[in-house]
Amino acid sequence: MSEPNPDPELLVAQRYSLASTRAAVTIVAAWHLGSDLPSTLIGWSEYRWPLVALGAWIVYSVIGVAASMVLLDPARKLPFGPWAAGALALLADAAVIVACRPEAIMAPANWGWGSVGWLALILFWRRRSWPTDLGLFFLANAIVMLVGMAAADSLDRVWIGKFLVILFGSMALQAGASAGAHGFDLAARWAADNSRTLARAEAAQRAAEQVHADRLRRYAQARQAAAPVLTRLAEGADPSDPDVQHACAVGAARLRRLIAETDDTPNPLLHTLRACVFDIEKRGVVVNLLTAGTVPPLALEVRQALIEAPLEALARARKQARVTLVATATQVIISVLSDAEEFVLPSPDGVHVATQVEGGLLWIESGWTAP
Amino acid sequence: MDRERLDRPVRLAVVEDLPVVLEGMHSWVAADPLKRVEIIASGDTLEAVLDGPGADADVILLDLELNGVLMIGRIPELCAQGRRVVVYSVHEDEETVLNVLKAGAATFITKGESSEHCLETIVAVARDRPYVTPTMAGALVVADASTARPMLSAREREALLLWFQGMNKQSVATRMGITEATVKQYIERARIKYASTGRAAPTKTTLLARAIQDGLITPDDIIEYQSLAAESGH
Repeated sequence: MSEPNPDPELLVAQRYSLASTRAAVTIVAAWHLGSDLPSTLIGWSEYRWPLVALGAWIVYSVIGVAASMVLLDPARKLPFGPWAAGALALLADAAVIVACRPEAIMAPANWGWGSVGWLALILFWRRRSWPTDLGLFFLANAIVMLVGMAAADSLDRVWIGKFLVILFGSMALQAGASAGAHGFDLAARWAADNSRTLARAEAAQRAAEQVHADRLRRYAQARQAAAPVLTRLAEGADPSDPDVQHACAVGAARLRRLIAETDDTPNPLLHTLRACVFDIEKRGVVVNLLTAGTVPPLALEVRQALIEAPLEALARARKQARVTLVATATQVIISVLSDAEEFVLPSPDGVHVATQVEGGLLWIESGWTAP
Repeated sequence: MDRERLDRPVRLAVVEDLPVVLEGMHSWVAADPLKRVEIIASGDTLEAVLDGPGADADVILLDLELNGVLMIGRIPELCAQGRRVVVYSVHEDEETVLNVLKAGAATFITKGESSEHCLETIVAVARDRPYVTPTMAGALVVADASTARPMLSAREREALLLWFQGMNKQSVATRMGITEATVKQYIERARIKYASTGRAAPTKTTLLARAIQDGLITPDDIIEYQSLAAESGH
């Protein structure tokens, strides 16, 4: 519980778990204060050695407090383990039996052997083997009491009967409480696990739907990018026609952009630009790409709009092109100076596009300014 | 740029550790029809060049990275001696460019820039005139936009941006609807404004004095720029 855990379901399960351990600690304390203490005080005259009984009550209290602290804070540990504390509890139990006069061995004054199982409940709470531990402890407790009864010469049928009633009565209460609380704990953990599995499945489904929608959208864009020129070629357009070649180059550049623009990189705009430049260099065009500044985060639509006109200018370049990217926090400008022929400029929403032809060179600039 | 002739070629010392780059520089200088530059010394350390025949050089062309070591830290002492330093490098990010200029270098050329820009730069620097390479222009635009108190005017910024984008000065002039001389003035004035930032050096003072003589700026401008520099420098 001390380690941070971001999983809300697990947190809920842990809180249930904490509630059940607190309940166990409360029961043990209430029993010891509300039943064992009055029994000791009211039965004071029934003891041979009342101070031994009082001492046993105190030892029981110390073990109870230590076990409770360990149970409520898993970072702590009992110095010699739960069984050492269990053995000490059985000794206290035996001390109460010895302290009683023989005729009072079944009186409420001999509270120890009926009550010590509660201590065992919290001592063995966290152990995986708690049912076995508890069973062994109950057995040891019964033997201690039987030895005490034998010493008091009280092993006749009536006394054995009373012994069994008290033994099974207390064991049923103590084992029942332990089993109930552990079952409650388990149920909370199952619920948390189920809820987590369900959430994971839902997230996976949403992601799959998103991926599918993105694929459909990109497929539509790819069609849009390549279909017109492919249709022209299928209808018999001449591949040696420069116009057809330009259209092919533009289609290829758009496909390239589609592939590159959703890659997960720190600077997607520059990454896309580089990918396109790389393809155009492979065509034999000498491209000089220069950048200045750091590109601020841009939405995919803005990047698409921003790169559209420069991409077409690049695709149409014949031998050389200079591409620049200038970025400040509020402005991003891409320009291409190339030997491409003039073409009808696309004018996508959200960006401004400018052009100028001089000295046989086509300059185009595509700029975005923060709204 | 104007074709004002020097009475003798510019004496250039080249500090470069790659023989192939040195060869290239020799061939660029040799190919200049006006023979404006002459390489009087070369070597792969500053000491080798400046303690020898390079001591009288008008301009030092310094590779920013010599044998794997960045030379930015050596620039201030060279400038303090009154030497004109042109830095050239493959590192073209704006931070490097600005650090080099702040250290006192006259100008910055990337190894990607053409022979024409390179020779023009050396000649301009020898005459204590500002020359802005396109790479420097990009760095200045971005640096100016990211400071709290920009120094460039909108027109200066536009001219620098178009220059960075690769237009020649005539095309920039057409685009902006002004004369080529005005474009040159805008670009050079932007450089002068940034010359007054960073540490003081005799070369910078000469550059500023020359800019006032040429009417590029007035003495009042300088006071303003220096006060800005004093604030940002400490």
